[in-house]
Amino acid sequence: MTYSSERSREERRGFLDPRTKLALVLILALFVMGGLGGDQLKPIKTVLSALPFLLLLIERQWGRFARGAAMLAAGYGLLFLMPFLPGVLNYIALLCGGVLTRFVVTVVMGEYLIATTSVSEFISAMERLHMPQAITIPMSVMFRLFPTIGAEWRSIRRAMAMRGISFGGAKATQVLEYQLVPMMTSTVRIGEELSASALTRGLGGPMRRTNICRIGFRAQDCILFAGCLFVIAVWIMELCGVKLW
Amino acid sequence: MKSENKLKGRDLINIGIYGAIYFVILFAVAMLGMIPVFLPLLSVIVPILGGIPFMLFLTKVKKPGMILIMAMIMGILMLLTGMGPWPLLTCAIAGVLAELCFRSGEYRSAKKAVLSYGLFSMWIFGNYLPLFTDYEGYFAQRADYGQAYIDAVQKLMPLWMAPVLLVACFVCGLIGGLLGRALLKKHFEKAGLA
Repeated sequence: MTYSSERSREERRGFLDPRTKLALVLILALFVMGGLGGDQLKPIKTVLSALPFLLLLIERQWGRFARGAAMLAAGYGLLFLMPFLPGVLNYIALLCGGVLTRFVVTVVMGEYLIATTSVSEFISAMERLHMPQAITIPMSVMFRLFPTIGAEWRSIRRAMAMRGISFGGAKATQVLEYQLVPMMTSTVRIGEELSASALTRGLGGPMRRTNICRIGFRAQDCILFAGCLFVIAVWIMELCGVKLW
Repeated sequence: MKSENKLKGRDLINIGIYGAIYFVILFAVAMLGMIPVFLPLLSVIVPILGGIPFMLFLTKVKKPGMILIMAMIMGILMLLTGMGPWPLLTCAIAGVLAELCFRSGEYRSAKKAVLSYGLFSMWIFGNYLPLFTDYEGYFAQRADYGQAYIDAVQKLMPLWMAPVLLVACFVCGLIGGLLGRALLKKHFEKAGLA
């Protein structure tokens, strides 16, 4: 017999531990986006690229999955079309395709991290990694603010476009002043409210904070961590000149 | 005295707020770097635009350590966005220099603030380091962008560009700092934020 609140906590628990998500972002950033490693890692990279999409499906993030898949498809489409295009278009297609196929995967993984991790989960995971508060508090504030800044930015752009202040319509300095400045002003105001609310709840206090989030390693985390270690092991072996396949 | 200098929750949250604005601007501009012509220009545009949030940030800095933490967080975010470990090193160096500079002005001097942002901006150079330390390897990794891209970048970024870019970061940091101060006076003080 479990209490209902306990059951709902278990239901809301994410599929992966935040630490696993961070490790995956790092591995994807280094190997898929950073382009670390040579030919031997190619097949592994293909598997890695599919991973964030799989995770989005498991967490039922259909919208994000569709957007990411569409962008990746566009990238491969451009690479496929590239040989048939003339002159400059060929070059542009190759560049856009190369950039899209390389970046989309890691961006999707980052989106997955931000979309499926609450701030409390993030802080709790960081605490268990023994990260100092000086790093975890600013980082969690940042992750919380990124979507807010995006929303503010879009509405300010809309408002300013109505007055004819947008790229193409006005001078660059005007765009800078009338779009960037309000964006910063409103972000700082939102941030101050956030700060008041967080302080009320004891963030940064001298006492250790408790946390009701359930995080911890389960089978899927262990498998993915083993995968990460495997990728690193293959990379090191390749650096040492061992031929695997 | 000692306890006054300790960073509290509010200071750390402030680092997060201004760090988020700085990073969003940085990220939006960095996307331009995909076009070869803009790659060296990043060391001009990023420090100038980043000056606005950073000068606003410096008005909140009253205790030692805040600038260094800001720099280290930028380094960690660069690692997570695939720029490799080099920025971590340059962030640490630039962060300490900027910190010492602003501290010598007792966290109040406006001139020291501009100079401090110039020093802080030099961390951006870390993003170029993989290109210069391993010239061949860098282009081998980017072979899938096409030969035209590689030719264009190699033409724009010969080895002697390294010191030029470092100086550009610093000088444009100073310009960005001045711009930030001007906007601070014009807009933010009126709005009661600075």
